[in-house]
Amino acid sequence: MDLDRLRRDAAAVLRDGRAKMVIGFRDRAGDRVPAFITDPDGAGELVFDETCLANLAAYLRKAELKRFRPVAIVARPHVCRSLLLLAAEAQIQAADVLVLAVGDQEYHGVLDLAGAAALLNEKYAEIPHDPEVLKRIEEISALSPEERAAFWAEQFAKCTRCYACRAACPMCYCTRCIVEKNVPQWISTAAARHGNYAWNIIRAFHLAGRCTECGACEAACPQGIPLMLLNVSLARGVEEEFGVKAGYDAEAEPLVGSWSADDSEDFIR
Amino acid sequence: MTQTEAKPTKAPDAFEPRIVAFVCNWCTYAGADLAGTSRIEYAANVRIIKLPCTGRIDPLFILKAFEGGADAVLVSGCHPGDCHYTSGNYHARRRWTLLRALLDFTGIDSRRLFFSWVSAAEGQKFADLIDDITTKVREAGPFDPANPARRQPWT
Repeated sequence: MDLDRLRRDAAAVLRDGRAKMVIGFRDRAGDRVPAFITDPDGAGELVFDETCLANLAAYLRKAELKRFRPVAIVARPHVCRSLLLLAAEAQIQAADVLVLAVGDQEYHGVLDLAGAAALLNEKYAEIPHDPEVLKRIEEISALSPEERAAFWAEQFAKCTRCYACRAACPMCYCTRCIVEKNVPQWISTAAARHGNYAWNIIRAFHLAGRCTECGACEAACPQGIPLMLLNVSLARGVEEEFGVKAGYDAEAEPLVGSWSADDSEDFIR
Repeated sequence: MTQTEAKPTKAPDAFEPRIVAFVCNWCTYAGADLAGTSRIEYAANVRIIKLPCTGRIDPLFILKAFEGGADAVLVSGCHPGDCHYTSGNYHARRRWTLLRALLDFTGIDSRRLFFSWVSAAEGQKFADLIDDITTKVREAGPFDPANPARRQPWT
């Protein structure tokens, strides 16, 4: 990948005022951490590789960053999809975002949201689900219901309710999350069995049709809960049932929240 | 003194499923009411919770029912096209499609989660439905107290 071009572009958009801030990745003792660059001379510290799993679109709605708009953001295809979803849900304005589009191997240059949508539909329309995750899903689906319950009981028991998964996700932008509502309290906040189950299920479900499978939540989980198993199984269901892949259209209606008279109902008696 | 012949009773420890039914006010609740006023007998295992519309049924309701010890949950509303609020049941249907698969994947299998359309005129259908579900859940047995969705008692 042409890292030099990425750095040059980042410096250029800052210098000519197309962006007031570039959000990308920098190196910190071997770790890849978010970099918030406002000075063109700082663009040289930008890096990008396959360990840059954080979804930087999650920073766009932070109140602290409002005064730095328009923001240029280093985005791989999954992150571009998140940006289009945020635009579709009226959370960001096209004028506030520039994309420094990073592809599988190459760097695609500076794009606006429309350009990012064109790039996605042209080059990355068929991003496959993670084959490793799909394999695990098949294995778990083949278990008996009791065994599945036991597997998830073990996984969710690890949850400490730190909500790192929520913080890592650009689509989890509610100012007041359902888990924080306590009159009535729907989800117990204790790190005990039923609250952990309800939290993890509802977190996944609230992302139905909105998850781009970027993997940031699972990467952020300090307990190693396989959240992508939930996300991908939902995303696959969304694709099979409704023929929708999230994040390819900045005008799309939300999947849950719209309906069609032709939706299948073979499970309803 | 003559002793009347004792009715055959169930063993005291026989499993009786607890079924929570979330129903809409306009169709299924009226259907259940019709079953009652028509004196149709059906299994007494169902606890009906009336909501304005199936569109009001949040997935959290279903989770909460299982958390509190329901052995099965039924969700029922107006037939497509008959929603009192025009499209609530269409919204609900889409949500259920996804939720059902997610819950099945995580250990609340589809032997415990039922969906139906019952109109205000279908008292018999409601009674038959409840009987059928009760039979099925009796076969499936009690909802495992160790299931991750069940409330964990304080220790």
